[in-house]
Order: sequence, then C-alpha cells, then structure tokens
Amino acid sequence: MILRTERISKHFETLRAVDQVDFTLEQGQLKSIIGPNGAGKTTLFNLIAGIYRATGGKVFYKDRDITRAPLYATSRLGITKTYQITHIFPSLTVFENVRISAQRRRTSFNFWRTAHSLSAVNERVLDILEQVELIEKRNWLASTLSHGERRYLEIGVALATEPQVLLLDEPTAGMSCAETNLCAELIQKLNKSLNLSIVLVEHDMTVVMAISDEILVLNEGKTLAQGTPREVSDNEEVQRVYLGEGNVCLA
Amino acid sequence: MTKQEMLKDVEPRPRSTIVWATAVALILLPFVVSTPLATEILIWSIFALGFNLLLGYTGVLSFGHAAYFGLGAYTAGLTLRYWHVGLWTSLAMGTAASMLLACFIGLVAIRRRGVYFAMISLAFGQMLYFLALSPLKDITRGEDGLTHIPSVNLFFISLEEPRNLYYFILAITVLMLYMTWRILQSPFGRLLQAFRENEERAKACGYNTTLVKFFSLVLSACYGGLAGSLNTLYLGYVPLTTLFWLTSGTIVMMTVLGGKGTFLGPLVGVAVFLFLQNTISLFTPRWELFVGAIFVMIILLFPGGIMGTIQEKYLNRKMIRLQKKAATG
Repeated sequence: MILRTERISKHFETLRAVDQVDFTLEQGQLKSIIGPNGAGKTTLFNLIAGIYRATGGKVFYKDRDITRAPLYATSRLGITKTYQITHIFPSLTVFENVRISAQRRRTSFNFWRTAHSLSAVNERVLDILEQVELIEKRNWLASTLSHGERRYLEIGVALATEPQVLLLDEPTAGMSCAETNLCAELIQKLNKSLNLSIVLVEHDMTVVMAISDEILVLNEGKTLAQGTPREVSDNEEVQRVYLGEGNVCLA
Repeated sequence: MTKQEMLKDVEPRPRSTIVWATAVALILLPFVVSTPLATEILIWSIFALGFNLLLGYTGVLSFGHAAYFGLGAYTAGLTLRYWHVGLWTSLAMGTAASMLLACFIGLVAIRRRGVYFAMISLAFGQMLYFLALSPLKDITRGEDGLTHIPSVNLFFISLEEPRNLYYFILAITVLMLYMTWRILQSPFGRLLQAFRENEERAKACGYNTTLVKFFSLVLSACYGGLAGSLNTLYLGYVPLTTLFWLTSGTIVMMTVLGGKGTFLGPLVGVAVFLFLQNTISLFTPRWELFVGAIFVMIILLFPGGIMGTIQEKYLNRKMIRLQKKAATG
C-alpha cells in the first residue's frame, strides 16, 4: 500500500468538507474519486498533497506519516498533483516549464552553473515532452498553447518531478470529447507503462468506468461507496446520489 | 531533428550586436554626457540590476531598498573615515552589511507577500533613516551627512580623477552584468522566474518557495550595498537622503520605466531617468513634475516599460513565426 488515509477530516468552521475518510491506494493502482460537486474530492487531494492542514486523522505514504508535511515536501517524497485550474508558468516556454520541474532533484539553488549544461535533465525534459506530445511546441510560450495543450503541459510538469503517486484533479476539465479520450489514453499509458500509481478526480463517467481499477465515491465529505467500477455502478445509493447526471463522452 | 539539435534551439543566447552596442555605449558614455552623470548612471544601474532581480524576475516588490543602498553607502563611508581601510575592504564591507541586513529583514518579513512585504520593507527603510538621523548622530553626522571621507586609490591610480573613477566603476558594472546574466541562465535564475509566474506550482514541483524569495532578497541587497558603497566613493560623502524613502521610490520608478523583468531594462531606465532629471533641472527647479508626467505617460502607453515593450514585440513576432511553421508543418 503506497498511500493511505486514516479517518482524515477537514472541517471549515461548521462545514465538514471531508469527514473521516479512509482511502487507500495500492502500488501501481489507478483509483478514481467521484462524487457530486462539493463532495470533498479536491479537499481530499489537498489534504494528501499538504496544501491543507487536516483537522483530524492521518495520511500515510509508504507507512510514513505525512499528515503535516507541506506541499513542497510531499512533492519531494514523490506525490505530485495537478490542479483543476491549470497551474503552469505562463510566460516561460514549454521546455522551461518542464525543466524547472525536472531540475529540482539535481540542483535548485545553484546560481553559477547554466541550466543549459544540465544535459541529463534537459534530455529527460525532451522525453517527457514527447510523452505529452508537446515536443514540437517546445519553444512556444506556455501562454500561447490551447486549453487542452496546457492541461497536457501540466501533466508533463508533474511527471518531471519523478512522482510515484500522481494526483490528477479533473485533467480533462474543459476538453472536447476527442481530447478527453486522448487524455484518458495518456493516463492509462502512464499508469501501465511507467507503473505510476494514480488518483484521478474526474466527472466524465465513461472515462472513469473505462480506466479505473477502483473507485471511491464521496458525498458530502463522507465515503458513500468503494469498489471496482462494476460494484460501484451497481450500487443503488450511488446511482441515486450521483450516477446518471455526469457528462458523458462516448469512447 | 536529433535531441542535441533540439536542445540547442531551446536556449536564449545573447545577441552579439546587442552586447557590442551596449559595450560601446558604456565606454563612450562619459564623452556623450558629463562624466559625473555617466558615473551616476553606472552606480544606479548596478542598484537597479539587483532590484530588477527581485521585482522583475522574482515578482516581489520591496519598497525599502534605500535601506540596502544607504547602509552600503554608510558602511563604506564609516569604514573609510574611522578605520582607514582600503578601497576593496570598504566595498566588501558595504556590500556585506547590506546582505546581512537583508538576511535579517528576510527572516522577519519573508512570509509576507505583495503589499505587506512592500510595507514592512518600507518601515525598515525608514527605521534606518531615523536611526542615522538622530540616535546615531555622533557617528553618522545626522542631517549633514557623513563627510571627511578620505579619497582612495586603485593601486597607484587616483580615483579622485572622475574619468578614472568612471572606468573603474564600469569594470564593476560589466562584472555585475555578467554575473546577472549567469544567474538568470542558472537553475536558480529559472526558479526565480517560476516563482514569479506561479508560486503554487513551484511548490508543487518540490521547491521551498520561502527560501527562493529569501535568497532573491539577499542577492538583490548585494547589488544595492555595492552600488551604495560606490556612491560613497563617487560623492566623497554620504548624504542622509541615501536612506530616505524617496531613494526607494526612485529605484522602483527607474526599474519600471526601463522594463522590469528584462535584462537591459534597468540600465535603460536609469539612463533615461537620470538624463531627464539632469536636463530638465537645468530649466526648472520643479523637474520632478516633468519627470513624473513623462513617467506616467510612458507607463500608460507602454505598461511593460521601454525594454519590456521592445521585448514583447520581439517575442510576439517569434511566436507568430513558430505558429506559422507549425501550421505549414
């Protein structure tokens, strides 16, 4: 088990955004978190990644307590998240976006060596750009990319941190159906070929059902159901609360 | 295209024409404008280069940079006057004092951002000003400024001769320009820009961004202290106004005028600002009014400043070229 939460909670005053959720992720697993808006999906992500401080419960990464680790520390340990609203470095080039992320494990406060001379880092950046299909646009400013391309770039930036767990917060948000399907393929590829453990928050039910190993359903901060796609979609309560309203792209 | 070829075209390289043009301009400057004005331009350029690292590349506004400039000036002046140290020692101590101050201010204020950080730095700057004005009057000579600073020699060359001093400071300016270029091309320099662009993402990449801001502040103070120390050599005394908040305001104006976040912007901004100040003050004692009006006009018309606007034009054209290339395959 690579990632585990134990009765993790986040209360904002009286709002119980996440309430005593037990979540587990196995090595190499692709697990989705679904639920209606406001169910606590992003909050759960932020608790794991160290953006929010939990008001109760614990988070373990490889049996190490990381409940109080800040965002940069969880990233160094190997948990990297992407954001629902794209977070990239807009006025830097595509290449530079990924390189800044990739150089972290080699050197970060070195101010005399040129970034150009880090050839191992730079070659890895090219490999990543190839994976997220942005290699032709390496010299473009990130701000000039299309929405879908920016989402890909963000995945590239996240991959460059050499994560073992990837937290993807609605990676297909705002994408067309064609783009969504390509993105789902990419996620599956990362999961299978790089053996990355992935947690996915996603609204598109076809995508979720097609690529997830397991699904966690949240509602009002609490666990509603957990299991394989089949078990979850057969669950009557899940159907009542959530399924049937998600937007659907036909694969 | 092989990987090696791809890696070649992702790096920005300085245009040799721009490098040579800058070099020629700086060498000939004391023949175009008066030597004192040229010297002032160099000193403030060094100050602005450092300020630009913080404001332009890291995206942090300090409104108390007079503290570093003034402390550098006073430290150099005091060590020259009371301890009779040599040229290099006074410069080194002036620079080091400012960096130490930045470490202290950094420890106290670095978690704040935006207007809070600007205000805290302003408060520290004013604190230093009033310290020099009154409680430390016996050492700093208060309002009169620190006078009776002995002149210094570079080996056997007298730096009292204005041209000698100009070329001495030019050598240091070139060194600082080279250093700045190296810093910006380094992993750390790229990190500064990443921080400016998106702090949250930089954190998610595993960077302790508080440290990034801290180092940027200290580095920037290094330039400020050095510029202040050189200002003492140039003036032969330390006016109290080096610590005043107007100095902090001036450096913000110069940097923004030239184009924050551009490599040569600080030099251009300083040169234009000081040239206007000198020219207009010949005609009217109210030169601030005109410089202010020109500043407002330039910022309204060209929000990126002089070099910022040029760089934007250049980048736009480059992007259009790249997009066309992608469209035609």
